[in-house]
Amino acid sequence: MTDSTAEFFQELGGRGHEPLLEKATGIVRFDLVDGKRTERWLVTLDRGDVSVSRKNAAADCIVRADRTLFDAMARGDVDGMAAYLRGELTLEGDPELLVLIQRVLPGPVTRGAPHRGSAGGSDRR
Amino acid sequence: MSDDLVKILDGNTFVVSDGRGDIEASLTDPTGLFSFDTRFLSKWVLTVDGQRLNPLSVDDLHYFETRFFLVPGTGTVYVDAKLSVIRQRAVGDGFREQLTILNHEDKPVDLTVRVEAASDFADLFEVKDALEKKGKYSSRIEGGKLLLAYERQTFTRSTAISASAPARLDKNGLTFKVRLEAHGKWTTEIEVSAQGGQSAETHKRRRENMEGNLERWVRGAPRLECDWEPLRITYRRSLVDLAALRYSPPITPGKSLPAAGLPWFMTMFGRDSVFTSLQALPFTPELAATTLRVLGLWQGTRVDDFRDEDPGRILHEMRYGEMTAFEERPHSPYYGCADATALYVVLLDEYERWTGDRKLVRELEPEARAALNWIDEYADLIGNGYVSYRRRNEKTGLENQCWKDSWDSISYRDGRLPGFPRATCELQGYAYDAKVRGARLAREIWKDSTFAAELEKQAAELKRRFNRDFWVEKDEYFALALDADGNQVDALSSNNGHLLWSGIVDKSKAKAVARHLMGPRLFTGWGVRTLAEGEGRFNPIGYHVGTIWPFDNSFIAWGLRRYGFKQEAAQIAAGILNAAAFFDGRLPEAFGGYQREATRYPVQYPTACSPQAWSTGAPLLFLRTMLGLEPVGDHLVVDPALPSGIGALALLEIPGRWGRVDAFARGEIDLNRRSELQPQLGAAEQVSARRR
Repeated sequence: MTDSTAEFFQELGGRGHEPLLEKATGIVRFDLVDGKRTERWLVTLDRGDVSVSRKNAAADCIVRADRTLFDAMARGDVDGMAAYLRGELTLEGDPELLVLIQRVLPGPVTRGAPHRGSAGGSDRR
Repeated sequence: MSDDLVKILDGNTFVVSDGRGDIEASLTDPTGLFSFDTRFLSKWVLTVDGQRLNPLSVDDLHYFETRFFLVPGTGTVYVDAKLSVIRQRAVGDGFREQLTILNHEDKPVDLTVRVEAASDFADLFEVKDALEKKGKYSSRIEGGKLLLAYERQTFTRSTAISASAPARLDKNGLTFKVRLEAHGKWTTEIEVSAQGGQSAETHKRRRENMEGNLERWVRGAPRLECDWEPLRITYRRSLVDLAALRYSPPITPGKSLPAAGLPWFMTMFGRDSVFTSLQALPFTPELAATTLRVLGLWQGTRVDDFRDEDPGRILHEMRYGEMTAFEERPHSPYYGCADATALYVVLLDEYERWTGDRKLVRELEPEARAALNWIDEYADLIGNGYVSYRRRNEKTGLENQCWKDSWDSISYRDGRLPGFPRATCELQGYAYDAKVRGARLAREIWKDSTFAAELEKQAAELKRRFNRDFWVEKDEYFALALDADGNQVDALSSNNGHLLWSGIVDKSKAKAVARHLMGPRLFTGWGVRTLAEGEGRFNPIGYHVGTIWPFDNSFIAWGLRRYGFKQEAAQIAAGILNAAAFFDGRLPEAFGGYQREATRYPVQYPTACSPQAWSTGAPLLFLRTMLGLEPVGDHLVVDPALPSGIGALALLEIPGRWGRVDAFARGEIDLNRRSELQPQLGAAEQVSARRR
């Protein structure tokens, strides 16, 4: 089984600069709960420059969720905002950062909008 | 029914009760305490010695506060006036109710005061569609509070009720044993708090704040002086209602943008927020700035069929209730809207022209470019170069993604409905305007002349094709839409006015379009109907097929003005402002499209919601249009064309890139001289005189 959470964060960190996150400056910490263990991912955003680490540090926004839930989000199977409204995912700090993070989470597998150049299937602008 | 209901609100928390302050909701009845799309109280009934109370009067103190004067006993002519009961209620994160009882007798009395409380925690969608709940209810006493709760997996909502005076709490309410001395007074404050979701954390404004805030808001807007009193009343009402409709989304606390309307639409809507911000721009430009920022933050980035989301698309509607949380509805947010994306660019340009805030335009460059990209890459579903719509979420998505969103709004002259996709005409106008304005922003602010030239070329090309393909040659107006085969959906509609506003209409065709808008099939004397009399589906009280929408008319008048039809614009302004006087200055969403001579007063549409943001904004836009306010460079040009009945008018301290300037005008357009029309404005003076 692939580890979609780790893949997502590693890929995000590898982007270096992400235009969709240019509005964001701050540190978002993901506390992902897996039984008794809490796995932490620290995402540092500076006007679109993204870096990812596993440090446990103070953050502007802390996202708490079950590891399995976040795995599903990272695969595009679960919508982060709906999970937040359900109370499955909780937030501490600046909630705007979650809206921005959602921009880089994959969307659901879809038959897709009939748009020009849809053959490539890029789902990001 | 809804006329008797009392509504107070703050942001998206609101209370709807009957005239004595009681709430007795059923699944289909929209009374209750609502917050973030959930009903937190469905029962709230006050009795004294087991008796219901009888209302003497209701005072609306502020939009967020009201006072009920009550006496015991109902249903009889005789009213027992030995006791008075005063309920004063203010909305906050829930509401606070001060309950006062006065004894008018010269001997003591012992009373049992009871408040029955319950909640069904219905999602607004459930209230509208009468659906069943899936979670568990509970009720308990804890820490001196009555807690009503609802739980479905991790989704929890609760209502906490407590009182300042000693009370016996049980699972169904609060009981007070009260001894009142001769001519004595008893009082308690009951606090009802809506908890769960994000409401409690982000919704902590207090009343003192709210009063100061409202005063500052009204003081910050331009001051209107005017001989015609109903316009002063309407203006004041618009500013106060707009303050009430300001809404701070829980995800972006502290920033407010206009929500769409009470009670169903206290949330962020792309289209409504943009139109209202455009209307209010000369008065309260900060609403536009927030609308642009927040809608930009939520701009679509993915392809998601359930939410009808595409990259660059501006959202249609956001909801926070249970059904959205469990993805039984797609509103987290839902993107099925074909106009808001182009209108977003229109607002960004208009905002800069008024305020000179180049910083925001630079900040939102990626969002504006993505919106312009959406028009070309995702909105042309037919492949003919026009914006069209067809939902991908066929279960819970919206069928009609233009502002006339009811099932029968888009029809051929003979009443047939076209299939999908549908390319309605105003969408092409908005797309044209977005390209023209986008080009200006690209050239002047983003310093990208290549992109600017490309957009200008596309706009000119779109205009040329549009004037060929949508023009109904025989009768000289623009068809309502093109169907999927490219045939004209040929009904005559008010959408022609939006086309004038967008600038897509060839100069040579404008006169014929204006003639239709002001002709007897569309213009009633009060305003322009959504659909012309004589069309197959015309019905003067059909939601989008014959009623008059003040918002629609405000943009039609702006469009007429744009093409130089000053007198016609003034005439529409006069008709709608005249109608406003019949509604005490608060324009409804829509009113009946009957000829003015036939009814003499505007007939309110049966289920229209009120106050509604873009109706509230309409008088503001009419003021702009009548005064001919137009930013040119760093100056504000004033070129008034007012109906004579308005008399002298001054709009003082209009904010903008020029600082603050005043505009003065005198009504000189004599509408009454045109023999085919009823006297305008004069009639409303009589109305207000009668009411005094």
